[in-house]
Amino acid sequence: MRYAPAILLGRVARTLARWRKPGGGSAVPGLVVNTIAPGFLPRTLNGFPGGLVIVTGSAGKSTTTKMLVAALRAHGLSVFTNQSTANISQGLTSALLERVSLTGRIEGDIAVLEMDEGHGALISASLDPRVVVLTNVMVDQIDRFHDSDMVAAMLAKIAQRATGSVVLNADDLYLARLGDGIAPGVSVARYGVADEVLAANPRGLGYTLTSPTRLDAADGMVLTGVSGLDATVLVDGRVHELRLPARGTHYAVDALTALAAARAALLDRFDADVAVAAISTIPPVFGRGEVVSVRGTTVEFVLVQNPASLQLNVDSLDPDTEQILVAVGSDVRDPSYLWPADTSGLGHVLIASGSKSYDIGLQLAYDGVLVDRIEPDLGRALDDFLALPEPARGVKTIIFSADSMRRTRAHLGLETNEADPS
Amino acid sequence: MTVDHQAGLTIVTLFPRLLDTNGDAANARVLAQRARWAGLPARIVLVHTIADLPDAVDLVVIGSGTDTDLAAARDALGTLAEPLRAWLAGGVPVLAVGTGWELLSAGLGLADGSSVDGLGLVPGRASVLPARVADDLVVDADGLRLLGFENHLRGYSGATATLGAVAYGTGNGDGTEGAVDGSFIGTHLHGPVLARNPQLADRMLGLASAARGLTLAPSAQTESVDGMAKAARNQVAVRLSLTS
Repeated sequence: MRYAPAILLGRVARTLARWRKPGGGSAVPGLVVNTIAPGFLPRTLNGFPGGLVIVTGSAGKSTTTKMLVAALRAHGLSVFTNQSTANISQGLTSALLERVSLTGRIEGDIAVLEMDEGHGALISASLDPRVVVLTNVMVDQIDRFHDSDMVAAMLAKIAQRATGSVVLNADDLYLARLGDGIAPGVSVARYGVADEVLAANPRGLGYTLTSPTRLDAADGMVLTGVSGLDATVLVDGRVHELRLPARGTHYAVDALTALAAARAALLDRFDADVAVAAISTIPPVFGRGEVVSVRGTTVEFVLVQNPASLQLNVDSLDPDTEQILVAVGSDVRDPSYLWPADTSGLGHVLIASGSKSYDIGLQLAYDGVLVDRIEPDLGRALDDFLALPEPARGVKTIIFSADSMRRTRAHLGLETNEADPS
Repeated sequence: MTVDHQAGLTIVTLFPRLLDTNGDAANARVLAQRARWAGLPARIVLVHTIADLPDAVDLVVIGSGTDTDLAAARDALGTLAEPLRAWLAGGVPVLAVGTGWELLSAGLGLADGSSVDGLGLVPGRASVLPARVADDLVVDADGLRLLGFENHLRGYSGATATLGAVAYGTGNGDGTEGAVDGSFIGTHLHGPVLARNPQLADRMLGLASAARGLTLAPSAQTESVDGMAKAARNQVAVRLSLTS
């Protein structure tokens, strides 16, 4: 009962915050509890009978976490998980307050938490995760205060807290090296792609450093093939077929990560068939290769969040795609941001739009892409694009930055999901 | 792809794995495309080691890197000190951005008070500014108005001549921006500065093609792309209440 007063106070704060601003104020109760009872968060998180799983890394955390949770639930586990928020300590505490009893216990067999590498490194010192899952080290080039060495050091700090196993991407050289330094007694579960998968992505998978050699199937789970929404993985000598939530090698790697993490979390209870089936049914992630029906036509949405994801999406686009709209908005403050990517693979873009339409138009033109029209007014661009006759080949495809995605969804009256950053 | 040197321009971009933080290496793409649109064949050679260096070089692009890689980038550039000296003496147009420029100077300061020696190939040195700068940068340069973005920790002093006067932003930190020394241009305007300022690209291409006895022809493609650059520039100018 030692946290009962803090929990009660937190709940009062939550009621007050909601009374003042309906639907908002989610960090305030967390702030209150963390201030008066700093032990509440770690003690509660460390208290799940099946332990705590932390998913962290530069990209793919959200998708991997969702897939892992689906796989664990399919095995009959009750899972506590979080929505990613900017300030993880306060957001998490607030989320825990929703579910915790006055004795400080939460219903649930296991907790799976997605953590931003920066906040994760800060709070992990007080956590004892059973499993730490590391996705990759990528650097958003715009953010000069974050270099790869720093990101890798933060991930190492989180990985050092693992008591059972560290699950890591063997194709990411920073992570492969990190795996060599894990304390004895803690197992390292590696996953990676086969030669053919890497060869199909001539510019690599977006990692800051890629390992010179591929993982041997005897040493971990291997992604052996990706074709559109279908992927194959090799687990303990058996090939499994996966269905992806969206097109792209990076989603197949997320699914592979979730599979490897599920095995580390479930140990002997892990059933690859059950996990693969569960991962194959997760719904598409908003805006990332999501296919929607709108105004009587089918459109594929592709969200680009940094130069690496622009490159991966350009490279994984069906080469037959005939109708492409590219929209870049005010979230790309400095147009230099996307220039490290080579967009020549797009070939022909019907409309460049968004408040940075001229800048993205310039990049496309210098990459040798034919741009038919520049239309800064995104609403008009969308109306005209969707009204075009159906393409003879491929589906209408809209590639957009986060700001343009929000505006597109609002313009088309589609549901939005703000709590879903990468 | 091989192009007979007699037939076209050879553009090298130096150490793009270390020096391409903001897509600065893309300036080589801009030079090559503009040359092609103007009727000249052009090839880009990515130089990762001295062995990649072609026999004859018409234009040189050096991008910016991170401070973590400063020593590695300086050592890499050091292996090309002789060719760099020859290009500068021979009037080969060189565009160097950010740390790629600073490393060619006498030296540069670090945030912790220490400093790193440069290669001493161009006059001047880079010293730490009171605070990091990350904003639009507008420069008035010999009748050209250059627009772009800056994101750097250091200013610059001691250049033979500067690129121009700062109309908006910080630049070198003393009201001027960049360095010009013969055919050399150093600047804090990062990323695709030549795409947003096509006249600067054409100044470099003009020098390089004249040296080879080649001429650049106007084309509809160049005109259309320059229309886009003008519109992009206008947006920035309107936002900053300047003329483009």
